[in-house]
Amino acid sequence: MAVESARQRKLVSGAAKHSVLLIVSVILGFPLVWMVLTSLKSNIQALAVPAVWLPHPVLWDNYPQMLSAVTFYRYILNTLMYAAITIVGVAVSSSLVAYGFSRIRWRGRDTLFKIMVSTLLIPFFATLIPLFVMYKRFHMVGWYLPLIVPTFLGSSIFSTFLLRQFFMTIPQSVSDAARVDGANEFTIYRRIILPMAKPALATVILFQFVYCWNDYLGPLVYINNQSWYPLSLGLGQILGTYTTNWPWVMAAATTATAPIVVLFFFTQRTFISGIAIQGTGDKG
Amino acid sequence: MFISPWLIGFVLLFAYPFFATIYYSFTDFDGVGAARWVGLANYSALFHDSLFWTSLYNTTYYTVFELPLSTLAALGLALLLNMDVKGRAIYRTIFYIPSIVPIVASCMIFVWMFNPATGIVNDILISAHIPAPSWFFSAFWSKPSLILLGLWGVGQPMVIYLAGLQSIPRELYEVAALDGAGAWARLRNITLPMLSPIILFNVILQLVACFSYFTQAQVIEGGDVGGPGTSTWFYVQYLYEQAFQYLKLGYSSAMAFFLFVISAIVMLVLFRSSSRWVYYASEG
Repeated sequence: MAVESARQRKLVSGAAKHSVLLIVSVILGFPLVWMVLTSLKSNIQALAVPAVWLPHPVLWDNYPQMLSAVTFYRYILNTLMYAAITIVGVAVSSSLVAYGFSRIRWRGRDTLFKIMVSTLLIPFFATLIPLFVMYKRFHMVGWYLPLIVPTFLGSSIFSTFLLRQFFMTIPQSVSDAARVDGANEFTIYRRIILPMAKPALATVILFQFVYCWNDYLGPLVYINNQSWYPLSLGLGQILGTYTTNWPWVMAAATTATAPIVVLFFFTQRTFISGIAIQGTGDKG
Repeated sequence: MFISPWLIGFVLLFAYPFFATIYYSFTDFDGVGAARWVGLANYSALFHDSLFWTSLYNTTYYTVFELPLSTLAALGLALLLNMDVKGRAIYRTIFYIPSIVPIVASCMIFVWMFNPATGIVNDILISAHIPAPSWFFSAFWSKPSLILLGLWGVGQPMVIYLAGLQSIPRELYEVAALDGAGAWARLRNITLPMLSPIILFNVILQLVACFSYFTQAQVIEGGDVGGPGTSTWFYVQYLYEQAFQYLKLGYSSAMAFFLFVISAIVMLVLFRSSSRWVYYASEG
């Protein structure tokens, strides 16, 4: 009897837990579902009050129409280019800097590392204006250079932090053995540590990609030519222009969201553990 | 030296512009000609500028509500996900996805869903006989609407909290249960103290983000930036406008430096107080 009731209680509490989780899932998932549903409706159906829940008929045509009405492919190409170049910058510079902050011992290293991390606390706008003036003097405003150059100079502190955490888990004896064989530091970095750090590098690359896909403020400040707009600014334009045609706006939102969600599905592990490392400082 | 990319970046793209901001803040400067020294004129003008105070108020309002609410939401979701149920990974995916939706796309979705006349939210509220506000179109509700949008995307801190929860030793809970501690007592006396360093970390990051709150407000009220009225003029939006639309670089630099001072003070207070509420296992 006692066993029976314990099992029953477990079943009931399991059901209660699931229903709470389910309700929260519905609330959090609903905006995305509604986005997709709206993107397949006619404008009249989308604006109907009370709401028509399911699109009928399903208007797939909204997508090709929206895509040809705005230079969406151009926005995507620009974003991909922005992401590709800065990924190289971040991967190279952050791994070098992280190596210097973890695999080599030198005086003042940890102090300097603390200084680097604490720059994360300084508001972006506290340095923006002189930077803008400087880039303007070098005739770099208008294209992506002001957003690219910093990534080659270790501007992605989260990436450096993440790589350093990873490098520190590699036993020092690995480096010592190579040193005995006469390898210099750069060879050790290039031939031994970097190949071992592939999972961490994958995380860094993934985060940089998502960052670029999302970045709004950087391009807003520096990119003023519409044909160079990245996705974020392009979407902003669409929202400003097509508020009379919500199915198109939602089709644009869906097109911008889908790649990143698909990417997340395939790389979930890397994603989640990467965030956990940044937040808790240990390998999650 | 391996860290030289960052060191160059730090001097050129951080230290120099940081001090240049302070210098510019005492000048009249349009970015093209020479900066003309005006002493404290920018600051005294700033303190007499009612829009400056409005933007500071709006930013404070957002921070005061968003910070605790998002912390609670992220913690709550993490606690839910930490329950011992089947299919946890699926729930985690659903809870996390909103935070990787491109910011502009999530703005689009919220503007659409919360449209006072044709949006689904008011549709539901009206059919449930609940008063339906005008959300982004109301000076009273515009900030709460932005806060809701922020709460939708708490996936990042949630994942960090979840990693923290999973690293708390199970024995602590078992011992406490033997001592007859209820769920609430376990949360208060074990979970929260063990998580407190992570809470501090997330609160700091959130705070930095709140001080620089920009993109969502800029995108959503795109046609009427700062509107309705001045209810969504945020601090760095005003700074941005002064700098890049009116080229009042001296004035906006004063705003930037003032922002730095405020955030430095808040951080300092936070760190000071943290010794009282943050528990580091290694010290105990």
